[in-house]
Amino acid sequence: MTDKKKYEGNDMIVTVDVDKIYPNGCHALKKVTTNIQRGEVVVIIGPSGSGKSTYLRTLNQLETISSGEITVDGVKMYDDDTNINKLRENIGMVFQSFNLFPHLSVKENVMLAPLKVAGRSKDEVISEAEVLLTRVGLAEKMDIYPSQLSGGQQQRVAIARALAMKPDMMLFDEPTSALDPEMVGEVLDVMKSLAADGMTMVVVTHEMGFANEVADRVLFMEDGVLLVDDIPENIFGKVTNHVRLQKFLSNIR
Amino acid sequence: MNEKPNKLKWHVLFIITIGLISAGIYSASQTINYKWQWHLVLPYIIDTSPIDIIAQGDANAAVNADGVITLTFDNGDPSRVISGADQVLISDGDLIFEGDLLARKEGIRSGVLIDGLYMTLKISVISLLFSIIIGLIAALMRISDNPFSKNLSVLYIEIIRGTPLLVQIFIVYFFLGTIFDLDRFTAGVVALSVFTGAYVAEILRSGIQSISAGQMEAARSLGMTYTKAMTYVILPQAFKRTLPPMAGQLINLIKDSSLVSVISITDLTKAGREVVSGSFATFEVWFTVAALYLVLTSTLSWGIQRIEKRLANNDR
Ligand SMILES: Nc1ncnc2c1ncn2[C@@H]1O[C@H](COP(=O)(O)OP(=O)(O)O)[C@@H](O)[C@H]1O
Ligand SMILES: [Mg+2]
Repeated sequence: MTDKKKYEGNDMIVTVDVDKIYPNGCHALKKVTTNIQRGEVVVIIGPSGSGKSTYLRTLNQLETISSGEITVDGVKMYDDDTNINKLRENIGMVFQSFNLFPHLSVKENVMLAPLKVAGRSKDEVISEAEVLLTRVGLAEKMDIYPSQLSGGQQQRVAIARALAMKPDMMLFDEPTSALDPEMVGEVLDVMKSLAADGMTMVVVTHEMGFANEVADRVLFMEDGVLLVDDIPENIFGKVTNHVRLQKFLSNIR
Repeated sequence: MNEKPNKLKWHVLFIITIGLISAGIYSASQTINYKWQWHLVLPYIIDTSPIDIIAQGDANAAVNADGVITLTFDNGDPSRVISGADQVLISDGDLIFEGDLLARKEGIRSGVLIDGLYMTLKISVISLLFSIIIGLIAALMRISDNPFSKNLSVLYIEIIRGTPLLVQIFIVYFFLGTIFDLDRFTAGVVALSVFTGAYVAEILRSGIQSISAGQMEAARSLGMTYTKAMTYVILPQAFKRTLPPMAGQLINLIKDSSLVSVISITDLTKAGREVVSGSFATFEVWFTVAALYLVLTSTLSWGIQRIEKRLANNDR
């Protein structure tokens, strides 16, 4: 069912024994270990509060970890000489609540980081923004402000904004959970086209159809533990020998 | 249905009330036999009195037929030519001593009150700029994780907000002023900006903290440093959101600036006091001074409303 992509065989994200204990004592991640390869699409599923967002946010250090090791594109995240801002330029992130910059127009949202972080020339950045916004189907909306867009349109701008830094990998934290049902499809379509282009993607979602269709691998988390790490066929197939996963999936349906 | 007539009734009542208050003020002044002499205030707003031309050294004077005076100074200074005088008070060949009145010139100048207004405007605008800079720095220190910055900022804000401005002005002028040899104006600006800065800091802090955490996260996830995220994402939104309370604070600054008159800065208030003792038109002068303050504050609040409207067009 899933296209078997030809991996270049190198790891993009390696997490080893990642533990996260929040200052309030909440033990959100317990020895999470997995490798995500270049071009791979990994979907993370699990009940609410299982640590999916926390794990995703450790991958670009929006959350620091308590112990363990994270390596992104060969760079150890917690080495003293690692520049986290440089690392983040290479990791796009899309949030559940879009988090567009409300004081900037759609086009300016997409242009801000390339201009101010990458320091690219304005002409180049403008034409790239136009290409990206056309790609996510928003060529007509470039000069208006985010508040005038529907949720689905806002999320597509957010994807374009993340892509503007030309990242090698993209993180998605429940990108469709805040959307009205009729807008879920348009965002998933953009994500599918990204996957088809070979983007490395880590996606937290409850869209099991998307997971089944697009994911190369599905991670099931519960209570901070990475319980199942398998290909979608084995996750969504008729028989699963993981009792907890079975229960989670039957609750969702 | 009958909304409109109702409202009209209240508008009429409002105008009648204002009329009654004015009449009340007038008749109250009659009971103490006060004679309103508004014309006495005018020269202190627009000064049309002739300008005296004074000799600045001992000299020999020559006056030609056109009334042009030429002074040849005894001490060898380059000689001075005075032309265009409307009234020459010396004659050709007179011996002139330093300080002698030579001639008068007609002219229109700003009166003492307008000079005071200008001083108030100048001290307010300069203090406004510094108070925003100080307030921004203090707000950023206040929200930082570093206990040193945070405590320093909290201490500053608490001390300033917990003591009267008048006392602060005295401390700046007599204590700091003596140590650092500050002139009155600088001392006034320092006191006003440090005072207003503390309030601006609290306004900006709450503005920054009202921006959702997701904005900072989105900015950082794009590779922005904390400083860049603040500069391009958080602060523009925070400034916009804090515009109304900021306007109130800056209007307070203009009004508070009247307190610098205690260290002999001739601002609008001090000018008012001087004019009162010169003209004896006490009531008229203070009403005029109040009106001039109102001009400054309402101009500022109108300006900020314009900015608000313009920004509101952008987003919600
Ligand atoms: N900032 C935080 N401070 C303290 N506890 C947190 C914080 N964020 C999340 N948690 C806790 O960590 C656990 C995992 O949360 P999260 O990663 O958001 O789960 P999920 O995304 O799977 O719903 C939950 O118990 C949650 O309450
Ligand atoms: Mg979550």
